Amino acid sequence: MNPEVPNPNRVLVIDDSESTHKLVIARLRPEGLEVIGELDGERGIERSVADQPDLILLDIGLPNVDGFEVCRRLKEHPATRNIPIIFLTGTTDTESKVRGLDLGAVDYVTKPFDQVELRARVRAALRTKRLQDILEQQSFLDGLTGLWNRSYLDRRLESELNVARRYGRPLSLVLVDVDHFKRVNDSFGHLFGDIVLQGIAEGLRAYARRSDIVARYGGEEFAILLTDTNLRSAMYVSERLRSSAESRHFEARSEVVSVTASFGVACSEELGADLTPEELIRAADVGLYASKDAGRNCVHLYRNGEVILTTGDPGALGPEEGENT
Amino acid sequence: MDPIRSTYESDPDMLEIVREFASELPERIARIESLLASGAWPDLQTLAHQLKGAGGGYGFASITEFAARLEQALKSGSAEPLVKDRAAELCAILRAVVVPGAR
Repeated sequence: MNPEVPNPNRVLVIDDSESTHKLVIARLRPEGLEVIGELDGERGIERSVADQPDLILLDIGLPNVDGFEVCRRLKEHPATRNIPIIFLTGTTDTESKVRGLDLGAVDYVTKPFDQVELRARVRAALRTKRLQDILEQQSFLDGLTGLWNRSYLDRRLESELNVARRYGRPLSLVLVDVDHFKRVNDSFGHLFGDIVLQGIAEGLRAYARRSDIVARYGGEEFAILLTDTNLRSAMYVSERLRSSAESRHFEARSEVVSVTASFGVACSEELGADLTPEELIRAADVGLYASKDAGRNCVHLYRNGEVILTTGDPGALGPEEGENT
Repeated sequence: MDPIRSTYESDPDMLEIVREFASELPERIARIESLLASGAWPDLQTLAHQLKGAGGGYGFASITEFAARLEQALKSGSAEPLVKDRAAELCAILRAVVVPGAR
């Protein structure tokens, strides 16, 4: 789950001539690029949305929907807007080049193409794409802790909830709040407070599973999204995170400071089919407040309108039951 | 006309697809002839456009050149005899192409 930006390498060719597909494959594969193809505009758009290529090579003279229209629609669609497009076409007049570039394409290459030139232009477009990916990711990272930030978590929560609903999979959310953080800040200063937040973040990242999405949700609050995870598994993960936070020590002015955190856990499975992101957050929040009320440094699960304390009592959830609980 | 060979025959990345492209040219010739016979100018123009784009890429600059002439004639609405001449020139070029490996 540690955020990293992969090298962009998937190229989609939208061209009605198979000869062009084969040619592009032969010319780009030695560059280590994966080339996929579609023969008409409609399918090209669908494929772009579904497969998220890193670059699109787009012909103009296509059956049904022409390349200009395909470009316009790709640049309008939120899921494909950021994919660079290079027109690769036998249409060579200046007017078409201007029109293509004005529609948002990054480049315009005419057929027959010079292979060395095409490779160089593809490399250039992919370099820019990578920088753009890095920038986009930066805007979703929390500067202090390096975790995902709230706006990323909110986005993922929405899309993961859709996935969970569609495939009938459980999705769990854990909210974490550092205990007495204001006191820590007041006693040892804000710089020390920052070090504490970084340490807690590091612990969450280290003890969460690879597939868990760990975010700083606000001031001293963190959120972890656990895909494909039921309430029971989320409880185990939360208890592990809680005890790792508890055992972490910080040094301030030759004093050793321990910090604990409170946890609230909720799972989509327990909350009905039309669950909204806000409802899932609210449910986890109820658990979190129960942990605060119960004296902090503990985990509460929210289930069926009740909260269940599981710290020191892993059996509190009841015996493990069958699939259709 | 002299035989026409791809300039990419010796490129290992290209040899196989050049062979495939060249061996499919008789089908393209047949299609040009049938489109000519039925007077399906828009389809003929599409085919010429595609050959123009592909020819040079496969190492056949002359296919691009003559396909472009045919495309231009169709685009500018030339009279039928001129279109037929241009198509015949292109077909002559296509027939002269040698499939690599078949020396």
